[in-house]
Amino acid sequence: MRRSRIKAFLVASTKSFFKDKGSVFWVIAWPIILVLMSAYVFIPPSAGSPMTMKLGIVNHDASRSPFNGSSLISVLSNVKYNGTRLFEIKVYKAEEDMLADLDKGKLDAGIIIPSGFGRNLTLGTALLKAYVGGKSIYSIQVNRGILESFLCGFAREIGLRKANIALNYISGAPSNWTHPSQFNATFKEFVYRFMVGLVEPINTTLVEKAPKALTERPRILGWYVLGAVGMMMLYSGFSLGATAIVEEKEKGRLERILSTPSTPADLLAGKMLSGLLILLLSSIVIILSGLAVQAEVRWNPLRPADLLVLLHFLLLGVMTISMGFLLSLVSKTTKGAGNLAVGLGLLLSFTAGIWFPKEWMPGALRMLADVFPPTWSLDAIRDIVVYRVGIGDVALLTVESLAATLILFLLGVEAYRRVIRRYVEA
Amino acid sequence: MLLEARDLWKSFGGRPALRGVELSIKDKGIVSLLGPNGAGKSTFMKIAAGILRPERGSILVMGRDPRDPEARSLIAYCPQEPGLFDELNSWDNLMFYARLYSLPEQKAREKARILLEELGILDHASKPVGKLSGGMRKKLGLAIAMLAEPPLYLLDEPTTGMDPGSRRDVWRILREIKADGGAVLLATHYMDEADELSDTVYIMDKGRIVASGKPEKLKERYGPPSVVEIMFRRVPSQSSVEDALRGLEHTWSEGKLRVSVERPEKVVPRLVEQLYSLGADIGSVRIVKPTLEDVFLKLTGRRLETSEEK
Repeated sequence: MRRSRIKAFLVASTKSFFKDKGSVFWVIAWPIILVLMSAYVFIPPSAGSPMTMKLGIVNHDASRSPFNGSSLISVLSNVKYNGTRLFEIKVYKAEEDMLADLDKGKLDAGIIIPSGFGRNLTLGTALLKAYVGGKSIYSIQVNRGILESFLCGFAREIGLRKANIALNYISGAPSNWTHPSQFNATFKEFVYRFMVGLVEPINTTLVEKAPKALTERPRILGWYVLGAVGMMMLYSGFSLGATAIVEEKEKGRLERILSTPSTPADLLAGKMLSGLLILLLSSIVIILSGLAVQAEVRWNPLRPADLLVLLHFLLLGVMTISMGFLLSLVSKTTKGAGNLAVGLGLLLSFTAGIWFPKEWMPGALRMLADVFPPTWSLDAIRDIVVYRVGIGDVALLTVESLAATLILFLLGVEAYRRVIRRYVEA
Repeated sequence: MLLEARDLWKSFGGRPALRGVELSIKDKGIVSLLGPNGAGKSTFMKIAAGILRPERGSILVMGRDPRDPEARSLIAYCPQEPGLFDELNSWDNLMFYARLYSLPEQKAREKARILLEELGILDHASKPVGKLSGGMRKKLGLAIAMLAEPPLYLLDEPTTGMDPGSRRDVWRILREIKADGGAVLLATHYMDEADELSDTVYIMDKGRIVASGKPEKLKERYGPPSVVEIMFRRVPSQSSVEDALRGLEHTWSEGKLRVSVERPEKVVPRLVEQLYSLGADIGSVRIVKPTLEDVFLKLTGRRLETSEEK
């Protein structure tokens, strides 16, 4: 194997690839379109902020109680979650109008405040009627959860206030009251605690502890930017491997090349290196486009785990090109090989945990993602640059990916040899 | 010995392509492999270039098996399809092959410039080769073969599809290769090309070498002593002319009638009289030397042109 010969294939194949508009579209333009769509359509700038529910209200309450229907509307208008208003209120006069808007999907929920709401709230139990809407079962579930959660919290607050007020009417302990052994408290304190317990029998401490990568837009975008890289690697790597020989044959170059002192091994090495270079350049462009839309892809060359990212990019490239060589066994024309490679690459991107998180997949597809080696390397890259895990956390994935790459490479080389023998008896 | 093929046999799907071919090139010069399409010329060239294996027989390039990379560094094979990267320009294509031959970059660039200039492609050298004419692509293919300056060139139909001017350019280049001490094995179906350029001609038909030797010797041995070439302004009817020609070996080509004769001084007056009596309007009558076309006709009973059509 001579360096000059490998350089010949590397330079000519890479230049030729980037001079073809169709190829440039698939390795550069399409992934950038995906990144932009992720940034402005799938994960718009509003993503990562809490949602604001559109809430319709019909207020029939005109009572003069200290807290009435208008007070409830005021509370609903001002309640916030993580700095974002939880409800956007639209007040309706007629119930039918509000229900019509719910039917049209213009509202997420609606509340009807009946007449006497304030009085009943002060003196006993107030009635409310709420409608929950939504554009999918998922959003109905979320809307219902938010509204119920608010109303429960609101009811608890009212209950606690009422308990405080009720305490004012207690003057002293009845004659038959005995001090309970569990509490070292006065009668008044005992009653207060008991009433609070009626209002709030369980006081749960709820701590939000979700992975930041899934809750912050820049990190979500980072996850998808790497998904775009993975998708591009899949169909481009497949395509580069699948068309490597058949294209040379179709363009009439193969025989001439193999009549020179270069060997099939030179051609294989040159094609592989050229493929890896194309995938690397394309990956860099995709990641830069991701950074431009504020995706967070963190990579620090001084952090040991981050160096593994380079290894995994290499493994991913070798794996996909080798799988492309395997596809060339069943492809007789460049067009056929290209179509097969892109079709299969896109299909696997959507089903094997490359573009969509595998946790979203049904069981069978999750299994596919679990056994698909390119997903292992991409998972390792995401674990490092998105979740910022250490070497220990990706060590097993790395070993598995290395082993899978070696096996796929050897199978790919055998496929390549068979395809060469199909055309040339050298 | 630059090239030596002994009893080469090759078939594709049971259909014989080569049948016991024997061919040798001992020294510098141009050796033509002349035959119609499908005669087996390209198959022979591919075996000589180490791309195909013979089923039987042996072939050596300067004493080595042509599949040995060392042997392949001693030849330059130019197939019918020039094997170019259409998206790249002529420089890039030349440099690609220069690297395959491990030529030093600077030397390769200088040589590329000379070749592009000689072949008249220098002005178009920066265009993607996919945008060049078929003739220019063929010339570039030839330039690639000449980059490495090997002792032996295997050129498969290098002038097919070229205009007459470009063919002349290529002929000039081939003569220069010969003058510089190179040896060329030229596969062609152009009789005039083989006649004009060759030191030795191997005539090939249906996978066999049917004759070989210097063009003049072949014509002496297999050709008729003379050929009468008659140009018509008007031919009454070909069938009536054919009656007049009964017993004489003849061919029609582009309105010309070529008749092989032993003693033209006896035959021509009688033939012209007969043709006039049939109502023919004769433009000219010439007695010319036989060509390799006549040799091929004699050996195979067919004309090269007719064989190609088949």
